[in-house]
Amino acid sequence: MTIRRVLILAPTVLILFLVQSYFWVPTYEQQTRGNPDRLNEYIAASIGDASILNPILSADSASSDINSMVFEGLIDRDEELRFRGRLATSWDIYEEAFFYVNEDANIPGKGRAGVEEVATLLKRAKAGDFEAAPEVKASLDNIREISVVPARDFLVTRREKENEDTETAEIKIRVSAPARIKLVLNNVDQDLFQNLSRVLGKDYFSSFNGQHYITLDDETWQSKRAVYAEEILPATEHNPTVVFYLRPGVKFHDGHLFDASDVKFTFEAIMNPKNLSPRISDYEPVKRVEVVDSLTVRIIYKRLYSPALGTWAMGMLPEHLLNDEALRKEAIHLGKDPEKFSMRQSSFSRHPIGCGPFVFREWKSDQYIVLDHFDKYWEGSPNYNRYIYRIVPDLLTQEMEFYAGTIDSYSVQPHQVKRLRDNPEYQNFSGLSFGYTYIGYNMRREPFNDSRVRRALSMAIDVDKIIDYVLYSQGERITGPFVKQTDYYDKSIKPAPYDPQAALRLLEEAGWRRNKEGWLEKDGKRFQFTLITNSGNDLRKAVLAIAQDAWKQIGIDVRTDLLEWSVFIQERVDKADFDALILGWVMGIEPDLYQIWHSSQTHPYQLNFVGFKNSEADDLIIKIRQEYDHERQVVYSHRLHEIIAREQPYTFLYVAKWTAVLDRRIVIKETDRQGNAVYKKIKPTKTGNFTFYFNKWVKLPETPTFSQEG
Amino acid sequence: MLSFVGRSIIQKIITLFFVSIVSFLIIHLAPGEPSQVDPLNPKFTPEMVERFRKEFHLDKPLYLQYVYFYRDLFTGKTVSWKDNQSVLRKIWERFLNSLPLFIVGTIITWTLSFPIGIRAAIFRGGFYDRSTTFFSYLLISIPGFFFAYILIIFVVTRFHVPVIGMETFGLGDASWLRLIMDRVWHLLLPSVLGATGGIAILSRYVRSQMLEVEGQDYVRTARAKGLPEEQVYYKHALRNALLPFVTMFGLILPGLIGGSVIIESIFSWPGMGRMAYEAILARDYPIILTVNFVSAVLVLAGTFVSDLLYLVVDPRIRL
Repeated sequence: MTIRRVLILAPTVLILFLVQSYFWVPTYEQQTRGNPDRLNEYIAASIGDASILNPILSADSASSDINSMVFEGLIDRDEELRFRGRLATSWDIYEEAFFYVNEDANIPGKGRAGVEEVATLLKRAKAGDFEAAPEVKASLDNIREISVVPARDFLVTRREKENEDTETAEIKIRVSAPARIKLVLNNVDQDLFQNLSRVLGKDYFSSFNGQHYITLDDETWQSKRAVYAEEILPATEHNPTVVFYLRPGVKFHDGHLFDASDVKFTFEAIMNPKNLSPRISDYEPVKRVEVVDSLTVRIIYKRLYSPALGTWAMGMLPEHLLNDEALRKEAIHLGKDPEKFSMRQSSFSRHPIGCGPFVFREWKSDQYIVLDHFDKYWEGSPNYNRYIYRIVPDLLTQEMEFYAGTIDSYSVQPHQVKRLRDNPEYQNFSGLSFGYTYIGYNMRREPFNDSRVRRALSMAIDVDKIIDYVLYSQGERITGPFVKQTDYYDKSIKPAPYDPQAALRLLEEAGWRRNKEGWLEKDGKRFQFTLITNSGNDLRKAVLAIAQDAWKQIGIDVRTDLLEWSVFIQERVDKADFDALILGWVMGIEPDLYQIWHSSQTHPYQLNFVGFKNSEADDLIIKIRQEYDHERQVVYSHRLHEIIAREQPYTFLYVAKWTAVLDRRIVIKETDRQGNAVYKKIKPTKTGNFTFYFNKWVKLPETPTFSQEG
Repeated sequence: MLSFVGRSIIQKIITLFFVSIVSFLIIHLAPGEPSQVDPLNPKFTPEMVERFRKEFHLDKPLYLQYVYFYRDLFTGKTVSWKDNQSVLRKIWERFLNSLPLFIVGTIITWTLSFPIGIRAAIFRGGFYDRSTTFFSYLLISIPGFFFAYILIIFVVTRFHVPVIGMETFGLGDASWLRLIMDRVWHLLLPSVLGATGGIAILSRYVRSQMLEVEGQDYVRTARAKGLPEEQVYYKHALRNALLPFVTMFGLILPGLIGGSVIIESIFSWPGMGRMAYEAILARDYPIILTVNFVSAVLVLAGTFVSDLLYLVVDPRIRL
């Protein structure tokens, strides 16, 4: 019967055909051991694909991974987290400070004074002709140059809108600025004017009124006069300046020489609103970038902003490929409107060219990205010929591929650490992550406005148990808002101890007593609140249950709720509509905490959503932001850390520990003076970064033994 | 006939219009922002949020956004927010990747279900029938990801060959035959996994259809004529039992664009389902809406095709 035969034959043939393909596939053995090229390539795996390979536009970690290989910044951080030169060989930081001569102010022992008199007074004070406190003397000694900027008249135009419906009005402001004194300082000095006012009189700077020197043509906008005066004629001005000396002879992958105009171009590209760069806020304090000569750039800032130097670790773009002319050509070639065409649309983001150690070769969406080493890399070409970034979205298959040898490193999940750490085939690295998890209390609400209550809540939770059982011991306690590996974090501060009895005593002090049923009560009201977090994060969910239980033990009636991420953020966090929540922050190395802890950031949609307000903390946050001296920053940070730990606006829970395993055959290869190869074990840096010397890595055919392990 | 075609096309266009409105509304009214806008990043100032919203037209009223979106879609200008690539081109690339999975999966499903189902119907109540019932329910109820993991671990540890991806990673320049066979091998596991549920369900359908036809007069007549049993089953019964399945062919059309999120993620298959899923997580509206629109078109086209197929295979139906 033909039909019957067909019915049985068709699936049999199909299956046989599919299964026979097995004999054509190379085994893992052939791919790894049997393939000599495999030793010269490094294969990394990632869960997600990159989205845009342009360092000024990318915001996701996969894109950043690739961008850091293809592009290079002016500086980066070394093993000890100090800055070190990359495309810049060295840099100078100094300050230019300005103030307007206040002719109405009385200078102690002098009376009113004109610009020349003030200048000579300062010069004499600097020369030592003045009894001064040591800090004032230090400020004066720091001044390198005192000069006079003569008075001048100019015109400023501002555009204003009365409300949404009216047209923008153009306001002409005539300014006749008085003379100004310019001070060039050896080092940035945030206390300069405070100290100078000890010489020039307490309110010499604060009593300067810029409104006297401006005239508005349009009468309707008089109300904004004070604002304009403040903007156009600020009494004092700090202009910190960074001069970068660039490395000569560095080339982009296409052979074009890198020079100062590329730095200026990269800055302008970030600031260009058309490009929608997510890094714009890092560079907003820059006043201007000047090209001094082809290997020197000067960056002048509008105000004191110490995180600024670190922003120049950003990868530098090649101007010749992305300037207006090049983009216009590309737009016309693609048949698109050149007016609307920006760097975001450019095909450069899929074929990047930088001056980093690796040259972009190929990108197959959601499959892999291949980079080749750059032979002309200024620091010497990397040892690996090829860097491959595979996209493997599933962790289990990533693990399988790692065992099979087709991926070189694997990020171990907490529950696997014990098993994989002791495996003799792999070398393992672990370190603390830069983020921490916390319980935040809404300090606008009763009873969280009482620091005793917050402290008691912290003391009722056994965080060590959470770390042991929820994180499989892959975590550490944290007590404050700084990255634990940096100097800013004060290691001497102890976390709140786990002590439910002491917590109850603290609560009793605050007026909370246990009633007959065992619930805590104050003025007949039960201690009751809701703890929320986002769904989809199992760790936070576990912490939620543990905290609820721990607090119930001491008589607090806690409800919990899990919300979908965007609802959680939009409806609860942004609107500060919550009692307590579990969330995490990922920190940068810079100690700038303005957005998260300053009292000005407590409004809806701002990040100080717990409503932490402390004037001393505010002061320290600003000082840290403005301080360019590392040692002093550390002092301020430790003080801030102490205040936050004392106030407990958050219960700081833990920082997670990551572990990565790597094939044991991968080592660092260096050449000594005689030109012989020297092999060393891979060592992680202070932050735990084990890929720091990636360019020197090699994979040996056999597992090496080191004479001294350590 | 012609009037049926005309009427149904008009109906489908109207449905499509409503589908486009509803899907647009659902996606825009759902909470969440495009992943480019990151409100919890301290470096992300409100001005930047505003600028991004403006760039994506999110500051305009909904009806305007609707008009802009479909205008761009029909002129082929929609770009993904994630990487500024043309949406249609992205979908086309992914479609080509998912297509082999879909085709092989469908062929496996259809070629295996029939013999299994027919045999179960012939020997109903017997050991074979009962064991296929058991396996069908087992396959329907086993979670796909679990089964996939088991299969991967088994194949990798037992045979030491790669199974994930569309081809062996780093195969380089092998002969074309080898390249093709390598691809076939990588198709095997995911498409078998994709087909398991289908086989389980379809073979049950086949069995019940056969049983239903069994009781019909013409089958009894064929038997009474003294035809051999085999001929009764495969010629008289099967032909009539096939009728409903022909129409099901039209309905598998939407599967072309669906893809499978889980299978594609586990097997690192750069397919349609994975892209759509990631787009939903990142609130990449242009991709979500376009995929949605295309699948709505395919569903409607599928029902249309199955209506027509009915007409062709069953002469009793007149439209």
